[in-house]
Amino acid sequence: MKFTKYNHLISKAVFTMAVGVVFFSCETVINPTLQNASPVLVVDAWINDKLEKQTVLLTQTQSYFDSSQPTGVSGAAVAIQDLTEGKQYSFVESSTKKGSYEWTPGASSFGKVGNTYKLIVTVNGEQFESTTRMGRVPQIDSITFSKDVRSVDGKERYQGEFWAVDPIGPGDTYWIRATKNDTLLNKPSEQNLAYDGGFSAGSDTDGVEFLPPIRRGITPNYSEKKSDPSPYWPGDSVYVEIHSISLAAFNYLNEVIVQTDRPGGFQELFSRPLANVSTNIKNVNPKGSTVVGFFNVGAVSGRGAKFIKK
Amino acid sequence: MRFLFLLFLFVTIGASAQQKFTVNGYVKDAANGEAMIGATVYIQELKVGTATNEYGFYSITVPSGKYVLVFNYLGYTVSTQEIMLDKNIRIDTELKSEATQLQEVQVTDERDRPAAQNPEMSTNKLDISIIKKIPAFLGEVDIIKSIQLLPGVSTVGEGASGFNVRGGNVGQNLILLDEAPVYNSSHMLGFFSVFNPDAVKDVKLYKGAIPARYGGRLASLLDVRMKEGNSKKVEVTGGIGTIFSRLAVEGPLIKNKASFIIAARRSYIDVLARPFVNILKDGGALNFYDLTLKTNYNYNSKNKFYLSGYFGRDNFLFSKNQGFSWGNATGTFRWNHLFNDRLFMNQTILFSKYDYHLQFGNDNRNRFVWNSAINNYIFKPDFSYFINSNSELNFGGEAIYYTFEPANASGITNGTPVDISLDKKYNLETSLYLSHSLRINPVLSVDYGVRFSNFALYGPGKQYTYHDTIPGLRKRVADTLLFTRGQVIQNYNNWQPRFSFKVQLNEATSFKGSYNRMVQYLHLISNTTASNPLDVWTPSTRNIKPELGDQFTVGYFHSLTKGSNEYEFSAETYLRFTQNQIDYIDGADLLINRFLEGDLLSGKGRAYGLELYAQKKTGRFNGWISYTLARTELQVAGINNGNWYPTRYNQTHNLKLVAFYEINKRWSFSSNFVFSSGTPTTFPTSRYVQQGILIPYEAGNARNNVNLPSYHRLDIAFTLQGKEYKHGVKRKNKDYWVFSVYNLYAHKNPFSIYFSQLDSHVLAGQPMVSQAKQLSIIGSFVPAISYNLKF
Repeated sequence: MKFTKYNHLISKAVFTMAVGVVFFSCETVINPTLQNASPVLVVDAWINDKLEKQTVLLTQTQSYFDSSQPTGVSGAAVAIQDLTEGKQYSFVESSTKKGSYEWTPGASSFGKVGNTYKLIVTVNGEQFESTTRMGRVPQIDSITFSKDVRSVDGKERYQGEFWAVDPIGPGDTYWIRATKNDTLLNKPSEQNLAYDGGFSAGSDTDGVEFLPPIRRGITPNYSEKKSDPSPYWPGDSVYVEIHSISLAAFNYLNEVIVQTDRPGGFQELFSRPLANVSTNIKNVNPKGSTVVGFFNVGAVSGRGAKFIKK
Repeated sequence: MRFLFLLFLFVTIGASAQQKFTVNGYVKDAANGEAMIGATVYIQELKVGTATNEYGFYSITVPSGKYVLVFNYLGYTVSTQEIMLDKNIRIDTELKSEATQLQEVQVTDERDRPAAQNPEMSTNKLDISIIKKIPAFLGEVDIIKSIQLLPGVSTVGEGASGFNVRGGNVGQNLILLDEAPVYNSSHMLGFFSVFNPDAVKDVKLYKGAIPARYGGRLASLLDVRMKEGNSKKVEVTGGIGTIFSRLAVEGPLIKNKASFIIAARRSYIDVLARPFVNILKDGGALNFYDLTLKTNYNYNSKNKFYLSGYFGRDNFLFSKNQGFSWGNATGTFRWNHLFNDRLFMNQTILFSKYDYHLQFGNDNRNRFVWNSAINNYIFKPDFSYFINSNSELNFGGEAIYYTFEPANASGITNGTPVDISLDKKYNLETSLYLSHSLRINPVLSVDYGVRFSNFALYGPGKQYTYHDTIPGLRKRVADTLLFTRGQVIQNYNNWQPRFSFKVQLNEATSFKGSYNRMVQYLHLISNTTASNPLDVWTPSTRNIKPELGDQFTVGYFHSLTKGSNEYEFSAETYLRFTQNQIDYIDGADLLINRFLEGDLLSGKGRAYGLELYAQKKTGRFNGWISYTLARTELQVAGINNGNWYPTRYNQTHNLKLVAFYEINKRWSFSSNFVFSSGTPTTFPTSRYVQQGILIPYEAGNARNNVNLPSYHRLDIAFTLQGKEYKHGVKRKNKDYWVFSVYNLYAHKNPFSIYFSQLDSHVLAGQPMVSQAKQLSIIGSFVPAISYNLKF
């Protein structure tokens, strides 16, 4: 199990414990000098079976403190082959957005559950490849809202919860993404992953109702500040999607969470060393240039709900 | 067999020696009857002596004659006794504290045997009276924080639990409380340690040259001994600090035969907050406490019994059944027995447990309960055979039965129970040791010995084998092996040689060296900057090999007496090589993961350093300076491109100054200053975006390539003793106030620098902003007052 699932509780406890006693910690934004590095190719290829435009984005890494839009990589050839059915999907560079290679579905959506897909990107005379399989995804049965009883300060707060059952058979991995009132909950701290409805392969939870912390993972992160609104309030709506992801993508996103979810404060005591996250994209020439990023083809199930107070 | 043969050999040598007699006995504190550990007993005429052991016992065997026996302990009046040694005699003595004596003539050249003459090296002893004087964070006297002021000891920062010794990680320290291992030495993460200073008598840290009697951890041994309780009169001590309120009661049960001590501490902020915080009203709890108990019974001159216990817990409950708690519990029974005048035995039987418990859930259909524990049952006989004044044999054994419960985790999800518990693990660690201290001549002394240990992992249980992969990636399970109850799953044997020597260059100066091998079968699985209460200890298995450490040390020791002032100086260097060190793949999953071993990496380590230490031991103004120059590195395939990298707790320079000054009879002042080089961390070079998440990237794939800014801090404390007389009448009670300021000049010491995207929702197509933040756990000065009472 990821410690991150519980460290906000620990931090909250410690914080509460410390209120009035240890309020001495402080954080300052600083501008350290970083080493220079040459840019490398970034592939952002997360394809799904929703009836909408699918994109493979090719960009370059940039200096850490460079907060501009990343530079798109033009003039590449991008294709995804369905190795099971011997089909090919060609992605064409957008005329409006540099480095964005797109495929628009016609009557049927991208791919089929169970099939294997291969991404081929050719750029500047180098070829990059990656292979993945499209996994299955369970339906979302319902979405509910309930009062958060953990509230330390007694303020009325509500959390959302989706209900779904993992299909029988081990090894199903998912990324649950929630959109609250048109805002995608995409902070690093809001990423919500599941392995067979539980936390990891090692916790053996095949075929169950998704475990409570995952079900409630569709709730936006909130602070204990009294001035902050409740994460959900009557009138709010939420749309939840479960994306099937490959095991490699599940491991990858776990690494991403470790590297990006840095709430600071006392949780820095339990931070892990900064390290590069993995990639499933390979340069065909092992001595060729470096590439980062990820390729996944997923099936998606979705459901929306509006919070109406009884 | 070899062991028995050696034993026989030494016993025969002892018996066949010329006409010799033994003087032995116990040395105690006259004020409260506490046994004195490390008091020196010296025969003036022969210039030979010894020190009392952990139970205050000594034994010296010399040719018959008329001698003057000198008893000595720093801060106590020297006691001399003329003896006629024509038969074996017993001399129990009591030493009086200097504080209670008025202007007595001091015999300065017969004082405490200084470090230069003591054969031990790489050890530091802190008297509880010194620890109580050191300025403390929030005024709470803290043993672990105090030892961090010694050479060779460091920490990753405030709030981090435990300590690092000579480049070892926090899980490589063996912390013993009355012989019982303590697995988590902290309350409230690392802010306070679990030892109640009112119940502690003596603290000794072994950083190297660890005696053969001890084993099980690579880096150090912290030996904490509890008070036995005042055997002369009932005494109550207590205090109110910023965090804890404390109370201790001690006294005789049967005068000079049996005594007890009960000491308790509890944080009380929740009591004050109860009316204002809702969750505390409906079954929530936010507190930590500890309870220490000890009693002893002096059955007769040959048998003594001790029973001690510790129970401590941290509770953070958000409501009656939501939250978490953790704590240690230990119980120790000891029997001191004198077989004859020269053969001393201590038999220890003990139990120790560390556990944590988490529980979450709204209702009966959705709950999650998770607990984890490590239990130890230890049987440990230790023998000391005092052959003669130049020769002492120590031997014994230890059997530890462990049960590990890595996770008992079960939940109910929408009414369906789910059990994700991991298998328990059962282990037996058995050790035998033998060591011999020998003073070959007045110049050369040696101590040599060996410890043999066997570690066995028993079924029932599953073991997984893993496929090899590129180092640094998660290993896939290849096969599952099933073992039945009692079946030996894995067995490890290790010989651990220990050797040290001392060359006495002159009365005041000596040169010492040592080599020892340590083996560690239990591993603290933690990949975070500071260890946290949920970290799991795991035994060696088929896939996790025992950690091995070889340490070499040499040192120069000098002591100096000028008038009534005593000085001590030492310089030590150490070099340590370690094998089978554990590191973790990026994104490792360490909790409730049956395939944990697939996420572990193994490598080797090296640590080396120089420690300089100068102490002024006596006088109104005293204190010490400690400086450490050190480096500690690991090499693990899959991290830092397979190259050596410094550990997170590597500190090149580490300087500490501790000073005490007695202003007048009522006021005293203490201060400490700490400076250390910044610890290593990793900075990214670049960034990229993946599905709306900003990911940091280090182009060189390096680990710990940058150092944080250096750390420095000054603390001060004033102690005001209560008036001795009130309206001309001597007060029965003694009390004192401590006023302290931690981090006096409010330096914002960096604990970490971390990189992240701004904490807001990013809309599609929006550029993302990255930032670096420097965190100071203590970013200001922290004043505190505490009041302490004794009657």
